Order: sequence, then structure tokens, then C-alpha cells
Amino acid sequence: MTPFLKNMLVIARRDFLAIVATPTFLLFLLAPLFMVGMGLAGGMGASQLADSARGAGRIVAVVGADDVEALRAADARLRASVARRVPVLEVRIASPATTDPIAIAREKGSDTYAVLSGPLASPRIVEREADSNAGHYLALLADDVLRSKAAGPLPPVAPKFEALSSGGTSIALQQSLGFGAVFIIFLLTLLLAGQTVSSLAEEKGNKVIEILAAAVPLESVFLGKLLGFLGVAVLFIAFWLVMALAGGLIAALQIDPAALASVQSASKATAALTAAPATGWPFFLGMGFVYFILSFLLLGAVFLGVGAQAATVREIQMLSLPITIFQVGMFSLSTAAASAPGSSLSTIAQIFPFSSPLAMAARAATDDSKAVHLLALGWQAIWVAFVIFLSVRLFRAGVLSGGGSWKFWRRRGRAAALAATAAAATAQAADRH
Amino acid sequence: MNDFSVEAIGLTKYFGDFKAVDDVSLTVPTGSIYGVLGPNGAGKTTSLRMTLGIIDPDEGSSRVFGERPQAVRHRIGYLPEERGLYPGMKAREAIAFMGALRGLDWSEGRRRAAIFMTELGLERVIDEKIRKMSKGMAQMIQLIGSIVHAPDLIVLDEPFSGLDPVNQERLEMLVRRERDRGATILFSTHVMAHAERLCDRLAIIARSQRRFEGTVDDARSLLPMQVRYTPRADADPAAIAALLPAGAEPRGDSWFFPIEDADVEPLLARITGSGLGVAGLSITRPALHDAFVHIVRQVDASFDADAGTDAVEEALA
Repeated sequence: MTPFLKNMLVIARRDFLAIVATPTFLLFLLAPLFMVGMGLAGGMGASQLADSARGAGRIVAVVGADDVEALRAADARLRASVARRVPVLEVRIASPATTDPIAIAREKGSDTYAVLSGPLASPRIVEREADSNAGHYLALLADDVLRSKAAGPLPPVAPKFEALSSGGTSIALQQSLGFGAVFIIFLLTLLLAGQTVSSLAEEKGNKVIEILAAAVPLESVFLGKLLGFLGVAVLFIAFWLVMALAGGLIAALQIDPAALASVQSASKATAALTAAPATGWPFFLGMGFVYFILSFLLLGAVFLGVGAQAATVREIQMLSLPITIFQVGMFSLSTAAASAPGSSLSTIAQIFPFSSPLAMAARAATDDSKAVHLLALGWQAIWVAFVIFLSVRLFRAGVLSGGGSWKFWRRRGRAAALAATAAAATAQAADRH
Repeated sequence: MNDFSVEAIGLTKYFGDFKAVDDVSLTVPTGSIYGVLGPNGAGKTTSLRMTLGIIDPDEGSSRVFGERPQAVRHRIGYLPEERGLYPGMKAREAIAFMGALRGLDWSEGRRRAAIFMTELGLERVIDEKIRKMSKGMAQMIQLIGSIVHAPDLIVLDEPFSGLDPVNQERLEMLVRRERDRGATILFSTHVMAHAERLCDRLAIIARSQRRFEGTVDDARSLLPMQVRYTPRADADPAAIAALLPAGAEPRGDSWFFPIEDADVEPLLARITGSGLGVAGLSITRPALHDAFVHIVRQVDASFDADAGTDAVEEALA
């Protein structure tokens, strides 16, 4: 092992242990539990809210008494085939007192999305929102009633549905896999890489930085720290992966396989599973993990370098906002790229080093060429090295050359003041002579 | 092997427009104890940092064992002026960590840490966390950490400050022992007593420049020897004053005056010939302390000359 690597591992080991061997780490590790808990509570609340709201929604058709039966039949027929959920249909018989659709739409007690009135051949449809589904549905109903009236009752169609058992993977599914990869990598980096911004603050605070700077190259200090944090991140992910797998296994053992098979959602899940990414599952998952590591290293290196320039905890706190915005920016660039594979935008996202890991992970879902990933990894690794190199340069020039005080600008200010007084003194002395 | 462990030539460093270090050279013979003395803010720490390659000099260069200091890091031990340890680490781990940074095995570092700590009377706190220790203890831990890998060059920046007399004594012992092991020691201080006892050679830095380089004796002989002469009780003061050089001044029973090396024997002859008798007589070199103060004052005086005219100028205005 080269001394450089050895030094790096010494630093990484120290950082890793210093983070992991604290009670705070447990809190950090279990933090997603709170998130999941809050998410569940919020989700349940929201769905309840949606349910109660849904019950109140309706569409109204005001028609002549002889059309009511036909309208109900048409509604029963069409409702099943319309993909979108349609609010309850309320049918009223037209009478002079009840024909004002606007008054009906404004009735209290329920959300009225659209009201149909007038003759079915030329109905008047009042909508809450222009061009709404509810309005179109009412028009469709009117059309269907008129048709069935004209042609007489038709025998019902008896379709026989046949599922394509393995019909290849749809591009849309692959794209959503790519999107999922981008999202997961982004979420993990957002949660975990931001920590590196404050990592050098500790050494600057307790003055250990001079020992490190004297003993080992700063590059290995920076890389070692990054590695230590990566170790923490991987430990975190591994922990939750094991938890998730164990949870899944327990759930699978609890549920009767026969019941599982009969559940409709199971067939959807198998559909998603058979929807293999273009490069195949093992390669896709492996690359996803490797791209996570590179995304972590790239962003972490930037944050580490930026954080190394900060002098106080307050400055570091101020830095966290631009850092989050930067990450979100990379995320939106990559999602835009993931939803448009092959476009020039996606090429840009794949080449731009900080969005490259995300965009390339998405590409692994839709594009089956594998060699390009090797190229991308090399390119990203070069950028990690470059960012570290640059950070170290800046750190040496700015912070380390600060002389007795590490706060170099203060030193510089004082020096400038000294120089100014000295210049004044010599000027005055020259005047005197 | 090179005769000099450290050859730093013409080191210069600016902080903004301020010349913190101005053309300072340090050449440290291998196997010696070398002191860098100077008042606070003279540029000692910056000079040492440049010597070790922690910061880059604006001018000049530094070689350690004939190579770039960065290339021989594992052969150097360094105690910085601003002490720093991870407070959450145990003492033994902290020492092993510092050793590991310099390429020592963790397990070997832990083993040596225990030995060193026991020797220095710190066996109670071997597995204690740094944050629970006193400042002096932590400093001893850090000192051990900087020599645990048995370096060939040990650089200590103000190692004695903050230590009690017992620990100062132990540190001196440690420094001598490391030298006997074959290490070269370069340390800075502004406490003359340690430098006088330890140093084979020393440099004095004041106002950013090196003002003196040589042995302790060289420094002391910058000033004339001091004579303390006590005549017999019944001597006539006027006769004594006539006998002694013009600058002699009486304090109590004794007379004090400086003397040039060449004048010692004639003076002795005069005293014995005069019949005033000798109740006490000492001729000693001034201590390093006096030489140091002398040098620093001279430097300050040349700076104060400017400041003086400044003051006069202001008073007139």
C-alpha cells in the first residue's frame, strides 16, 4: 500500500470511528424512522381528507324524464371504461324550477364539477373548470344516450381479455425506473453528503489541522475525510437495506402465498419486476450503487472544499442553503434528462460532472450499452480528484498560510495596519529631514 | 550522511504587506539540540512551519535530510505551537493516531504509547479521554505523540510553555534522551534557562530577522564578563574606586563592573598589589538571558529610533 493511501485510511478510520462511536450517530441512523412515521401519518391524513372530499363531489345532469333510464344505463356502461375516476352522477328531471344550471352548480354541500342541461342533442354544460373531464364525460353520456336511442338496444359486447405474459419492457416503465434511480441517489446524497461541509471545522476548531498538515499531504486528509463520511453513508444505507429486507421477509412469511397471488396489486408488482432496465437488474443495481458513491464523492468534495474555507460554525450554517439548492439543481437537471433520453439535454446532464452520476444511472435504465458507464466513471473520478486538488490549493493558500493566527484575513488586516503606520512614520521622518 | 539535518536558507514570508519572516536561515547539525529563541511575534513559528513545508516560503528554500521536507514526513516529529488533539480520543489512541499519521503501525503505536506514558508518570490516564485531562497533561500526550514513531528530526514549538516545573524537567530529560538516541532536535522557546541547559547551538530571531547564530557560549561572550569584587571591610572607598575601572559601582559591600577578557590578569595583579584584600571575588560570563535581552534591545532600539522621531514629530505638531 502506498503511503498516500495509508495516510488516507488513517484519517478515514479516525473520522469514521469518531462519528459512529457516539450516541448521536444512533439518532442519525434512526432518523428515517421519524421520517417514515411522519410520512405515514401525513399520508393517512391526506387520504382521509381526499376520501371525504371525494364523497362530496358530483356531476349533475338535468334531463327530461324519458331520458333518465337511458342516461343511468349509459353511465353504468361508460363509468367502468373511463380511466379517470368520475364523480357521482346525479340525475334530475327537468322542470322550470330546476333548470338553472348555474344555480345547481352553486348549491352548497357538495362540489359540483359540471352540470348538463337542455336538450341532449345540444346540451348546455356548465363546468367548474374549463375543458374539464367531468364536462367531457357528461357530453359523452349525452352522445351515448342519443346513439342508443337511434339504434335501439344493442347486445352488450362480451370482450375476452388476454394478458401478454412477457411482451418486453415498455419504454415508459424503463424511464420511470431511471427516474426512480435518480430520485433515490439524489435523496441519499442530499441526506448524507451535506455533512462533509462541516467536517474540517472540527480540525480547525481544535487545532489538529496543523498536526495533520505537518504529518500527511493535505490531499490525503481531504480524501480520507471524504472516505470516512462515505463509510458512514454506506453503513447507513446498509443498515436500512438490511432492515427493509428483513421487514419484507417477515411480511412475506406472514402472508399466505395463495392470498398474495390473488391480490391484484401482486400482478402489478410482478409487472414492475419483469420490467427490467435495459442493462438488466444486477448491472443496473450495481451501477446505481457505484453512481451513488461517485455522486457522494463529487458533491462531498465540493462541500468539503467550500466548508474548509469557512471560518466559523455560523458561516457553515449559512453555506447549507446554497449547497442544498445546488443539489436540487443537479436533481432537476437529471430528472429532466431522465424523462427525455437521447435528447441534447440528457447528454449535457450526463457530461456535466456533478449531475453525471444521476443522469448516467438513469441512462442505465433505458440504454443497454455498458461500455459508456466505464467512461462515465472514469470521467467522474477525474473530477473528484480535480475538486480535491483545487480545494487543497485554496485551503493551503488561504487558510494555512495565515501564520500565527489561522484567521488569515485578520492577520492580513493587522499587517496592513502595521504597514500603514510604518509607511506614515517613514514619511514623517522624511519630512523632518 | 549529510552533516546537517535541516538546511533552511533565506526563508522569507509575507502576510499581506507585513514581512513576518525576513531572510532567516537555519542550519541544524545532525545529532544536535538546536534552539530558536526570540520574543513573542518574532517569527519563530512561521520559520519553523516553513522549514517543515507546512506553509510555502515566499522566498528561500528548506531541505530536511537533503530532501524536500514533504518527502521525509515519516522521519519528522512535530509539536505545533497551537496544541491540538481530538478531545473525544483516548490518550493511547491519540498517540497511536499521531504515530499512524507518520507511518507507524497502530498496535506498535499503542504499545509505545503505554511505555512513554508510564515513564512520564501518566500511567493513570492511559485510557482516559483527552477532554478529561488538564492542559499540561494533554500537552505531554501530544509531545509523546510527536515522538512516538522515533523520528530522526524532532521539531518542538514552545514545548515548555504551559508545563509545571516537574514536567519541564521530564521534558528536558526526554529531549536529551532522544538526542542520545541519535535524533536531531530543533525547538523554539523564549525561556532562556531551558535553552541554556539544552542547546548545542541556537539562533535568535527578533523582528522577523535572524540576529544571532552560534553556541550558547558564543552568545554569552557577546557581552563582557562581569566582576563582583568584595574588598576587606576596612578599605577606603576612594582608594577602591581608583583601583577599579571607571564603570565600577558599589552595591552593599561589593563592587560590580564589566571586564574585557584581556584585562582579567592585570586586574588581579592590581588587586593583590593594592593591599585592599579580597573578601570575595567572582568573574563570570553573563547568562544567556542577558545576551538575549541585549540582542533584542539593540534590535528594538533601531526600530524605536523611527518611532522616537515619530513621537517627537507628534509632540511638535
